[in-house]
Amino acid sequence: MTFDLSRIVAVSLLAIMIMFMVLTPLMPFYDPYGQNLAGSLVPMGESSFDGKFYLLGTDTLGRDILSRLALAGQVSALIGLGAVAVSLVVGVFLGLVAGYVRGPVETLIMGLADLQLSIPRVLLLIAVSAIIGPSVTNLAILLGLTSWVAYGRVARGMALSLREREFVLSARTQGATAAWNIRKHLLPNVLPQMLIVGSYEFGQIVVMEASLSYLGLGVQPPLPSWGMMVSEGQSYLALAPSLAILPSIALFILVAGLQFLSQAFTSEGEVAGVSERSK
Amino acid sequence: MTTFLIKRVLQSMLTVLGVITAAFFLVRLAGDPAVLNLSAEASAEDIARVREALGLDRPMIIQYFDFIWNVLRGDFGVSLRQNVSAMSLVLERVPATLELALTSFVLGLGLAFILGIIMRMTGSRFVRQLIMWIALGRQAIPIFSFGLVMILIFSVWLKWLPSLGRGTLSHLILPALTLGTYELALYLRLFNASLATEQRQDYVRTAYAKGQGKIQVLLGHMLPNALLPLVTVAGINLGLLLGGTVVTETVFSWPGVGRLIVQSVSQRDFPVIIAGVFLISLMFVVINLIVDVLYGLLDPRVRMV
Repeated sequence: MTFDLSRIVAVSLLAIMIMFMVLTPLMPFYDPYGQNLAGSLVPMGESSFDGKFYLLGTDTLGRDILSRLALAGQVSALIGLGAVAVSLVVGVFLGLVAGYVRGPVETLIMGLADLQLSIPRVLLLIAVSAIIGPSVTNLAILLGLTSWVAYGRVARGMALSLREREFVLSARTQGATAAWNIRKHLLPNVLPQMLIVGSYEFGQIVVMEASLSYLGLGVQPPLPSWGMMVSEGQSYLALAPSLAILPSIALFILVAGLQFLSQAFTSEGEVAGVSERSK
Repeated sequence: MTTFLIKRVLQSMLTVLGVITAAFFLVRLAGDPAVLNLSAEASAEDIARVREALGLDRPMIIQYFDFIWNVLRGDFGVSLRQNVSAMSLVLERVPATLELALTSFVLGLGLAFILGIIMRMTGSRFVRQLIMWIALGRQAIPIFSFGLVMILIFSVWLKWLPSLGRGTLSHLILPALTLGTYELALYLRLFNASLATEQRQDYVRTAYAKGQGKIQVLLGHMLPNALLPLVTVAGINLGLLLGGTVVTETVFSWPGVGRLIVQSVSQRDFPVIIAGVFLISLMFVVINLIVDVLYGLLDPRVRMV
């Protein structure tokens, strides 16, 4: 019963978020970059001095919060999807190679995974993005490269048992190379599980990106991001709390939706490494 | 036990070496330290002179071993902004970070313990689900958002607690609550699962058969066994909490290592960033080692692996 409930909650939260992100730019709202000096810090649902109506109010520069929230959501979702794709490819590749080839290659890859887990992810991201400079592409790649371990561990575990199965053994006795076996026999078998891991990791990555942007190390202005909007709103917490609260609510809806989605998935097929949390 | 101990310590040392290697590459990525140390109008000769003084003209492999030696002595170079050693700046901030991390740790574990017992004792399915949903909801709120909501409620509206800085106990409450509750859902789920496992054990049936009450069996018999996995995971998470301190410290202007790192990023003070990241990673490795060894002491089955 709980799981059915979490599935309903997941689907409705994500549907709200996707509709918000997709439909808002299509509506006749304001330009997310457009500034209006006559309408700085307009409260929710009120009009500026020059008579423009703002549903969710404006920030200090008089920019429309509603359209900025939608644009920021698209940016976050894009970075998240990119990062999940990168980490999925890297993690599945390394995990399958480690589990199939075994020997020193496995020791090396799993050692790398352990090493990466021994540095808190936030710190690694801060250090690297401070040095190479943040951009949307860099962020997606960086977040992806630091999140492959969850996929790698699960993929390796599955490869270890799959490589002993008859269909893999028979292919090998007929002269199939490791690359062929991994591509044709292992990959299709681990992919569904990897997508489950991905649904869990997506939420983690969205939070990570928002945290980096909050710290000023993620998405850079003029492009908006929820984390950055919260950080900008912090200075006006007493005066205009909605500046920080609205992007927080948007983040909550997306992250909670993804969290319940992965919970609904994991209750169907237990995945070993999914519960492994890494910040 | 000795073999287990030696193996685990060697493993940790290898990890530290890996962290140092990562730091070495990060330093190189940051750019030529000679150029970073000089002002923009430095001439080519100046740069060459500093390169020689810093030993940057030597082969990479020698520089690498030199770097390891320096790190082992705690020497990460001089801060590019303040003329003091980077490590001393970081070390100054360690007590504040530890204070925040440990308080959050105890608070989170204590809350999980109390709520877990309530969930077990109550007959009401509604109460159980309510607690779990609240914990899950908390997990979906990023640390900085939760922190700001706390500030908004308790500092701005109610004016009960200060919103920033460090000093009295009241300064500690909001940051610790923000950081400590983040993992609550995980702890609760774990505690529930291990209590459910113990519930099926023979000794529990025996205790009930002796005529003991529900509370007596739970507190006297099941709890000591059920707490073990919770404490282990919480111990490992003490390391993860250190990562969470970075954001929490920024939200509440808490003068710890994390805030120092973030401030150094905006000043492009690379030696301080790398010294800070290294020190927190080192604490992380040491905490994990201590937890593993303690667990090995408490539960003999672990040593076999």
